[in-house]
Amino acid sequence: MTGLGYTVPAVASVAVVVGAELIVLHTGLFRRAAYWVAMAIVLAFQIPVDGWLTKLSAPIVLYNRAQTTGIRFPWDIPIEDFLYGFALVTGALLLWQYQKGVASEHH
Amino acid sequence: MDHYQYLILMAACLVATLPLEALGARVWRQPARLARAVLPVALVFLIWDALAIGGHVWTYNPRYVTGVDLPFRIPVEELVFFLAIPVCGILTFEGVQAVARRIGIKL
Repeated sequence: MTGLGYTVPAVASVAVVVGAELIVLHTGLFRRAAYWVAMAIVLAFQIPVDGWLTKLSAPIVLYNRAQTTGIRFPWDIPIEDFLYGFALVTGALLLWQYQKGVASEHH
Repeated sequence: MDHYQYLILMAACLVATLPLEALGARVWRQPARLARAVLPVALVFLIWDALAIGGHVWTYNPRYVTGVDLPFRIPVEELVFFLAIPVCGILTFEGVQAVARRIGIKL
């Protein structure tokens, strides 16, 4: 672990998504129980899907070990993938909810 | 079939979440809102992907992808991933709410 070319942007992507909600979008998504239930379900499905993509026995995606922490759990999933997945899905959910807010707002 | 592994995995994710639409998620039935939620996030992740591929942070196993590349050597499978996974996440979020409504609780 020297470059951390995956770890650093993965952490940054979560910060950008959370910052976008708190500073710009204000959808209230993080206060919704449905969001956290959905994210728990998404996480439960990420493990088999991502596990398949990253398994070292027959990998579809191969990571440069120098660019990650090297911690792979569960199975061979680089832990950075969980930050990446959180940012990807939450980013889309925030924009999804933002569209709803825009459509239903009456000034 | 090996070259279609990544695409088959993405198709499986979309098929697995499709019943949520029938339960009342109403995600595929709002295509414009879905596009405005998914496309901007997909663009950001495509740029990230191009940088990571160019910087040798990760690579794709030629055995499990079709070999069809977008610009910047991004496998077409990655575009499919950036569209399919957020759609699955939004379907999960709306599906959770639809199921909650059916059993009479508000999430």
